Amino acid sequence: MLQIENLTKRYGKFLALENLNLHIEKGEVFGFVGPNGAGKTTTMRIICGLLKTTSGSVFVNGIDALKQPDDIKRAVGYVPDFFGVYDNLKVMEYMEFYGSMYGMSKKDVDEISEGLLELVNLSDKKDAFVDTLSRGMKQRLCVARALIHDPDLLVLDEPNSGLDPRARFEMKEVLKNLGSMGKTIIISSHILPELSEMCTSIGIMEHGRLIANGRVDEIMQKSKGFQPIKMRAFAPDYEKEEEAKEHVSRILKEQPGVTKVNFTEDEILVSFDGDDKEAAVLLKNILEHNILVSHFYREKEDLESLFLEITGGQEDEKKDEN
Amino acid sequence: MKKKMKINPILKKELMVGSRNMKMSWGIFGFNAFLTLIVIFVMMILNANSNIDGYDFGDLITLFPVLGCVECGVLSLVVPIITSGSISGERERQTLDIMLTTPVKPFSIALGKLGSAMMLVMIYMVSSIPVMAIAFVLGGMNWGALLGLIVMMLYLGAYVGSVGIFCSSVVKKSIAATVLTIVIGIGIIVLTSSIFGIGTSIKAYYQTIHNNSISYSPGALPIILMFNPYTPFADFMLRSMSSYSIYDIIASSGKMPVILTAVYKAWIPVSVVLNLLIALGFLKLAARNIAVTHNRK
Repeated sequence: MLQIENLTKRYGKFLALENLNLHIEKGEVFGFVGPNGAGKTTTMRIICGLLKTTSGSVFVNGIDALKQPDDIKRAVGYVPDFFGVYDNLKVMEYMEFYGSMYGMSKKDVDEISEGLLELVNLSDKKDAFVDTLSRGMKQRLCVARALIHDPDLLVLDEPNSGLDPRARFEMKEVLKNLGSMGKTIIISSHILPELSEMCTSIGIMEHGRLIANGRVDEIMQKSKGFQPIKMRAFAPDYEKEEEAKEHVSRILKEQPGVTKVNFTEDEILVSFDGDDKEAAVLLKNILEHNILVSHFYREKEDLESLFLEITGGQEDEKKDEN
Repeated sequence: MKKKMKINPILKKELMVGSRNMKMSWGIFGFNAFLTLIVIFVMMILNANSNIDGYDFGDLITLFPVLGCVECGVLSLVVPIITSGSISGERERQTLDIMLTTPVKPFSIALGKLGSAMMLVMIYMVSSIPVMAIAFVLGGMNWGALLGLIVMMLYLGAYVGSVGIFCSSVVKKSIAATVLTIVIGIGIIVLTSSIFGIGTSIKAYYQTIHNNSISYSPGALPIILMFNPYTPFADFMLRSMSSYSIYDIIASSGKMPVILTAVYKAWIPVSVVLNLLIALGFLKLAARNIAVTHNRK
């Protein structure tokens, strides 16, 4: 469905995308994850034909996004992160306006809009003025608008940004429905746990590069290795807090499987490469060094931890390179 | 099967949204109220200058150029205000991106915006017919002159509107685009007049030295004035009010080649076509700007 090969985008000296390669199958719900400036929006805008590339290729259903801009616009529906409205335009008129831009007749637009507004739970608002809708409703209307021409691919840039929890939940339900209908969707978001619930696959971006990519279950499997141990420990042999910390840190680092030890305000975060049995052995070893432990548990696997681990790791690598 | 004519979707939407906006109603009211005040003012002056008790109805013909010039002035201010917010407004609302993800071409967007401005000019003109009719009913003007005035206004609306849309595509803020449109408009008038004035003076000076005579031929210099979008309007007013035209004024200053004579005689169509081509150029540039801005970060 979507094939991106060696995609590079430069804004002057700034390298926004660097040799991006991505393949998305039909019916997939793909989540783009990454910090601000990672290149998610740039990638999405290129897919939609809003930006030209510096080099590389983008194909949607065999259509070259760079050489066939008119065709690509019929194949893609785009929902930007900000929903701008026109004053004095009703919901149905808004749909008709965008339908007419795709050369659709009023009759066709009306028929399709009825179904789409029902899909996004806005059937009762079709005679309301768009500027009177809540932000969540506007965003759902924008999804309906993006589907008016029945695109092969739906691209949503941070669809949940700025929405309250209820509106976020409603949007999530709409997207889940679309996913179950077999639509190919690309979503970018900062709210990672939500992405893991909605998406079939995810890609993690940083500094214009795709640093991890795969099915959610595969990524989750990987994330097991990034489940840090959270613990609280005391060293009664040391009176000074700094000395106690140093002692605990040294003992932990001596243990097999421990890769990193971080002290937060009231907890110790231990990056540990081992299963639950090995974690139990780790606890036993620490206790044998006369370190008292008040709590010791493994972080539940989630994309957030994985994301922080991967992007954090990349940061370290960058620093090392420098 | 009968195929339905497709209206530019942007034009259709603009007309729908514009007609619901109270600004349009107030604008039409203000425009006609202003014209009515002008009529009252002119009639008071005519009454005061009249030798007879009441009006010399023949003098009321002066209402036509006065109202025509007032309409021209008002529309030259209103059209830039409307069009200069057309593209920058879409950017400010962040709706331009969505528009550009549809198959509609940037030129169609610019054309739709211009079309809506032209429709507004038309509405203003039609709404002012009752006031203008005073000059016809009492002053003896004919309906052909009124039709001509409407055509002139539409032409000027197209020109000024195109400049406005171009400025709107260049500048991010609507207010800045309005100011830029007016500056460009005044700039074109000043520039063409200055070049013509300076050129004429230099030519007159050299002809005086070489021929030892004060008579000279204007040659091709008046063509520069054809690039002033207001000269066809001035020629139209001259022709409507008198038996003179711009050609007569040029011809009175000296002999000219046959080709130039033909061009000057057809001042209105030649100048209108030239300026509409320039307007088309502004629209094309606006369309290019709309597309190009999306390659900037």
